[in-house]
Amino acid sequence: MGIPNDGLSSEDATDPSQPALVEGTARVVAVEGDVAWLEPEQTTSCGSCASSGLCGAKGIGTIASRLERRRFPLDNRPGLAVGERVVVGVSERALLKASGTAYALPLVVMFGAGAVAQWLAGSDGITMAAMVAGLALGLLAARWGARWLSARGQLAPRFLRRTGPGESCRIDPHSFD
Amino acid sequence: MQEYILLMVGAALVNNVILARFLGLCSFMGVTTRVDTAIGMGLATTFCITVSAMGNWAFEQYLLEPYHLGYLRTVTFILMVAASVQFTEMTVRKVSPPLFQMLGIYLPLITTNCAVLGVSLLLVEGEMTFLQAVLFAFASSVGFTLVMVIFAGLRERLALAEVPRLFAGPPIGFVTASLLALAFMGFSGISTN
Repeated sequence: MGIPNDGLSSEDATDPSQPALVEGTARVVAVEGDVAWLEPEQTTSCGSCASSGLCGAKGIGTIASRLERRRFPLDNRPGLAVGERVVVGVSERALLKASGTAYALPLVVMFGAGAVAQWLAGSDGITMAAMVAGLALGLLAARWGARWLSARGQLAPRFLRRTGPGESCRIDPHSFD
Repeated sequence: MQEYILLMVGAALVNNVILARFLGLCSFMGVTTRVDTAIGMGLATTFCITVSAMGNWAFEQYLLEPYHLGYLRTVTFILMVAASVQFTEMTVRKVSPPLFQMLGIYLPLITTNCAVLGVSLLLVEGEMTFLQAVLFAFASSVGFTLVMVIFAGLRERLALAEVPRLFAGPPIGFVTASLLALAFMGFSGISTN
């Protein structure tokens, strides 16, 4: 994943003329030179945050390994320190493009392959095989699409601000262990 | 061709997964505070429902039915749903780590979404061919996404509206959901599928 180069940048997050951002809270887990590594905070179906450790909404997605897999780099021009919580954002448009690339594109290719197979052969087995092959091809197409989006820096989250007092939930689940 | 179109319209609009069959209500209320998250969740669910329906149809046709193992259907389907969600997650992570970082959040939520299992069980009831089953699953999930996006749009507007304090928050959400369900009842005249 490319490192976003606009840590405190040209675009003002509060400017209404800028595209809307989807915000999320992340914690700085490591700093390596000019790069800060962040882990997104636990999020659940209720859209909650760190307090989910207490509310019983924990699901499969809250285990540490999952969070570690979602670790991402950020340009450390703001001078972030390990343990700090920050708000990062990606544009709504980027989220839609990413969803379309990851999920819609493989399905479109899969249905295309299935339709052709059904029209030519008309057998369940052949249609199934063609759709599986179409799905694989669609995932390959999604990979190219994602690379293209990534190369243009559209999938990279960017630093917006440090979390302020009272922002999001402030309960530390470990304090109740 | 007309048969397929009717099947899809019936699954997406007339017998909508959320508003007619009352499946997937947790994500319907939980992930519809913003349109963009609703679209993300909807597309991820569409993918998982379609892929798991393909697998479940194959299990039913080639394993459960020939060997009279119908009593294992629910367990088998749950395993298939979990496997398809895991497959999707692994694939998205391998195909594109940036996409996984942006979209991975929705995937674990789908595992516990009863709509995924419900659609697969409906396929069995319908005794469909493979293409019919996949189109039915796809259309059902498109209906799911459609309702999620409509409801998210309404909730975004409600957030700006002056709502009596008694109704603020989830109560007005439920009232809106019921009105949306009534509106969708209008589609019941199109098809009885």
